[in-house]
Amino acid sequence: MPIEAENITPDIIASKQMSEIERLAVYKGNRQHNLSELFEISGDIANEAGGQVIMVEGNTALVKYIGSSMSSGKIIVEGNAGMHLGSKMTGGEIQVKGSVDDWAGAEMSGGCIRVNENAGNRLGSAYRGSPEGMTGGLIVVDGKAGQECGALLRRGMIVIRGAVAPFAGVHMNGGQIFAFGQVSKRLGASAKGNGGFIACFGGVEQMLPTYIYDSTYKPNFMRMYLQQLSENLGVKEAAKFMDTPFERFSGDLACGGNNEIFVASY
Amino acid sequence: MSFNFNGVEIDDTFAEGFTMWGSRIIVTAINKKWANIAAQNMTGFATSVIACDCEAGIEREVPSESTPDHRSGTAIMVFGFSKGKLSGSMLNRIGQCILTCPTTAIFNGIPRAESDEMLDVGKSLRLFGDGYQVKMRMNDGLGERVRFWRIPVMQGEFLTEELYGAKKAVAGGNFLIMGEEERSTLEAAEKAVEAIHTVPMVITPFPGGLCRSGSKVGSKYAFLKASTNTPFCPTIKHTFKRSNAPEKVNSIIEIVLNGLDESSVKRAMGFGIKAAVEAGGVKKITAVNFGGKLGKFKFGLKESLEAT
Repeated sequence: MPIEAENITPDIIASKQMSEIERLAVYKGNRQHNLSELFEISGDIANEAGGQVIMVEGNTALVKYIGSSMSSGKIIVEGNAGMHLGSKMTGGEIQVKGSVDDWAGAEMSGGCIRVNENAGNRLGSAYRGSPEGMTGGLIVVDGKAGQECGALLRRGMIVIRGAVAPFAGVHMNGGQIFAFGQVSKRLGASAKGNGGFIACFGGVEQMLPTYIYDSTYKPNFMRMYLQQLSENLGVKEAAKFMDTPFERFSGDLACGGNNEIFVASY
Repeated sequence: MSFNFNGVEIDDTFAEGFTMWGSRIIVTAINKKWANIAAQNMTGFATSVIACDCEAGIEREVPSESTPDHRSGTAIMVFGFSKGKLSGSMLNRIGQCILTCPTTAIFNGIPRAESDEMLDVGKSLRLFGDGYQVKMRMNDGLGERVRFWRIPVMQGEFLTEELYGAKKAVAGGNFLIMGEEERSTLEAAEKAVEAIHTVPMVITPFPGGLCRSGSKVGSKYAFLKASTNTPFCPTIKHTFKRSNAPEKVNSIIEIVLNGLDESSVKRAMGFGIKAAVEAGGVKKITAVNFGGKLGKFKFGLKESLEAT
């Protein structure tokens, strides 16, 4: 049975008494529980959210909304995390040492999420019916990412070091997606552009026919991103593409878009 | 009044500095050669606002590991009398001299936190892209977001930061090196410029950092706003009655310095004077001022030497 634990954020926990934290509400199915009924709680409580670090241990693969709407501080999840991790977060940092389920970082506008294994579907995307997905911040996934990663992405950066499932960047209208593994079909479908691009370093299974090839060149701006990925985010493989030429595709013409897809050319 | 410094007479006077708006740009290119070509072109005809739109100079070469795109770079500083004039000069010069130069890109050289204003030079420059320019953001989730523009050009793509930091800076630092003959005076002045450029955020806008034709305000010809600095022209020292050129001095070179702050200009002057004295062949060093009427900064030669 999934647990909804949106109260596990530095914003809510910081500056509270331990007794108050123990009484924070969490839901198991449709029943409300105190946090202390489902979790053992211990440690120091910071005066401000920015100084609060929360460690989440145990079998947390079905714990949803960890770090949802957080604005500062840090959360470390020792194992896997459930759906909606860091959704709508505006700042702070979340590190997940395992994998995350669907909707991680959905509609986030700031902060950083680091996933050491895989991510589910709709990573950094918009919720159904919403016009914009992620509008800022950074997501780095060391493993694979599921379908519709970065759907309706508006701003911000998503980095996937493993393979990327179909429909990456669907409807994106800004922002950047970096994919170091192979990218599956229909990437950038219905993407409008607005400064957005998808950079593919591990090949593309199939490019949509509504993207047109423009040129092969060495974009200077790519060096800056690759440098940042390599030096600041530990994506070491980025460094080897510093002087690589890229094929530039522009589209999606089906919606009059000017999104860019850069494919590393060996 | 004067004092002796390592055997050279130094006038106990001051250089008079005044406020200008200053900005700093880092130009990068495929190699040092092209970064320097771009920088040299951009800083051409920018020695003095007497007749140029701005004062500009190369501050230093920036090694590739220190530039934003990890290519060879050159730092340029530009000074103007107002934000508007500075911004206009930067836009024109970047547009004509850097945008046109193969492989270049430009970056802001004064962080927002240290700037008094951010000039939207890149934002204007983007329009050259004729609608095909692409905006780009860096640092999402990592720090302060910075916006860039990618402009398609015939050679590939030109990259510029959107905003460039500017701050109220200092212009008009100066000193005059007086020597017995031309060659040794020139060599001493060259050494002084080398020493000045060890101080960050300072430029010497004249050719090679040296001005051999310092000027005074006004002229016997009403239509000229500046004319040769007659009191310091050795060739007429006995013809011109109020000459300040000493008897054994036959060559005088002026060094003018602009910097982002008062202390940098003062230190740079001190290093320059020291180096000139150590080079030998210098008879006297003095500075130009207008009795405090021109600007609020007074760079005493003695204080400058002490600042080193």
